[in-house]
Amino acid sequence: MTQLGNPALPILSKLLDRQMLFVSGKGGVGKTSISRAIAMGYARHGLKTLWVAFEDPLKKPGELIEAEPNLWLLNCVGTVAFEEYTGLKIGIPSLTRLFVRNRLIQTLAQGAPGIHEIVLLGKVWHELANYQKIVLDMPSTGFGLAMFHSVLNFQQLFKGGPIQRDAEKMMKTFRDPNICGNLIVSLPEEMPLRESLDLAGLLAEVLPGTGPGFLVNRVYPEIAPLVPEHQSPFPQSAFDYLCHRSQLEKINLKIWDDLKIPYLTLGAVEPPVHLDPLNPSLTLEQSSIIEQLYEKLKAAQLFGAEPGGH
Amino acid sequence: MILTRNVIITCGTGGVGKTTVSAALGVRAAMLGRKALVITIDPAKRLVTSLGLDALGDQATDLTPLIKNACEKLGGTCLGSLDALMPDTKKTLEDFVYAFAPTPAAAEKVLKNPIFSILAKEFSGSNEYMALYRLKTLDEMNYYDTIILDTPPSRHTITFLNTPRVMKQFLEERMVRWLLLPTNRIFSAGLRKALGLLEKLTGAGFVTQMLDLAESLYQIQDIALDTVKKLESLLESEKVGFLMVTAPNPETVPELIHLIESLHQYRFRFEGLVLNRTLSAFKISEDEWAQAHQEVERNRPDLIYGLKILDALQTREKRLIEALRNKLANETGAFYSVLPELVRDVHSVEDLYYVADGLKNTQPI
Repeated sequence: MTQLGNPALPILSKLLDRQMLFVSGKGGVGKTSISRAIAMGYARHGLKTLWVAFEDPLKKPGELIEAEPNLWLLNCVGTVAFEEYTGLKIGIPSLTRLFVRNRLIQTLAQGAPGIHEIVLLGKVWHELANYQKIVLDMPSTGFGLAMFHSVLNFQQLFKGGPIQRDAEKMMKTFRDPNICGNLIVSLPEEMPLRESLDLAGLLAEVLPGTGPGFLVNRVYPEIAPLVPEHQSPFPQSAFDYLCHRSQLEKINLKIWDDLKIPYLTLGAVEPPVHLDPLNPSLTLEQSSIIEQLYEKLKAAQLFGAEPGGH
Repeated sequence: MILTRNVIITCGTGGVGKTTVSAALGVRAAMLGRKALVITIDPAKRLVTSLGLDALGDQATDLTPLIKNACEKLGGTCLGSLDALMPDTKKTLEDFVYAFAPTPAAAEKVLKNPIFSILAKEFSGSNEYMALYRLKTLDEMNYYDTIILDTPPSRHTITFLNTPRVMKQFLEERMVRWLLLPTNRIFSAGLRKALGLLEKLTGAGFVTQMLDLAESLYQIQDIALDTVKKLESLLESEKVGFLMVTAPNPETVPELIHLIESLHQYRFRFEGLVLNRTLSAFKISEDEWAQAHQEVERNRPDLIYGLKILDALQTREKRLIEALRNKLANETGAFYSVLPELVRDVHSVEDLYYVADGLKNTQPI
């Protein structure tokens, strides 16, 4: 899939040049594989990279593993980040223990919405000092955005304390287009495309100037109509499905073309079938999907021309 | 299920067609003679537009005439009715506060508290609390035979199931309760220290505002707790069944299994499973393979490429469904239903009629 001359390419290259990349989008669009492919690209270009997932219930809380040279994977979890953050702020371990074990504080930390979000982003923000690149696999649309809103809310709420100062510094970093970028992943389907635009608008309010760039994932090959129309919305044959699918995707993407939204498409790939069907992390780790996506992004020259350079 | 439960709650991760399935269930309920209602939070625009529901909002809209039309065209009868409703969460929240506060002035005080308004913003991002409150109010009206609640998208659907419990815990938490007693602020040394630290971290205003809000909440605590308990017993009762909607792909199925396990933990009723957007309903025929190969000779490889992806997806799907059924082998009494992926977005109530018809075919897991 060559897309040379696509206006999205320079935008995406610039985004990937920044130290911190937020990868957002609706659930199930492939944020995890794409963000992993980008992190892999950085690492293979010799950059010390941290890839972050938030609250993955299938991994250990706070787990940090080195997947390959230069590539670290973190499962960032609210409760762990909360303890780390308060520890950092209070400074005295015995006091910190007293604080985080207090029932009221525990109830507040779990029950009050927003606290999790702010400490999660705070944790990642602190890691900027330790890595050359950070790629974040954000929670799906509304919840990813809510993380930034929480920081803003707490900034209003906690007037004059250290939390407010940190929240302010965090937002300053997240809004700095020299440091942070936003990448939105979508699918060529109605709801994901619509949500992506909504998300872009909301992100522009919270983090003006940080993008976004758009990737449309899993686009089917274009197939001319071969089969007659029918009344039932169910597919009648494999050809019927493929033709309608590609027509529908075309109609969906035309809306973006008409709006002159620059996007890069990534073609659908054959999914791996030989692995444990109920363990997606294993499937993702052991399949070639991340590699395939990395190759596609590399072919589009999104990591620059030469490995080793920046 | 439509005939045995008054409330059907559809759960599932994003992008699996939960809203379409919920609407189709509504159509099916109406055809079976029930007075039905679908509550949906964030439907696809094309779905709403195609049903002529652009004005869909906090008040119920009647879809019955459209269903009757579809039945006339495609066969079948519609003996009942179907309403649809999209709750305005901000308004529901205000109603909620006014309903519980002892005086309107007290309600306004709560609504104006900066912590509350921020909490409310955070809450309206998730919507769970308000959707359930709305469900309870509608159920108590005893007007509908069948209420279908299309659950709002959550980061993890589990948050939704956990809602009543978290609220109850919050309201029952004795430490909070005690702290909330404004005249009785004799804290233990540990608590005083914790609050002191909290104040240092958050700045001076927050702790005062929190105690202020706590005081207001204390006034409504008992009545709110009572409501939450009623809600919980409603959800646990025979009246309510939970229907899981999923697309059989490796991104969503593990979460689904986790979700079903949690349902039992919460003592909610796992009624059945809709495997939506399936691709293995049709076989790729020999003819199609042959034709695709011919296209390659004409230098058009797209068709064979498409078929290969489809073939791999079908194989993966079959294995996944097999593994899922094995995993759920203990779920006696639950059913499952398979719906193929549609070739177009739902255009009309006729399309929903077809989906509703597809939901007829259920088998035990």
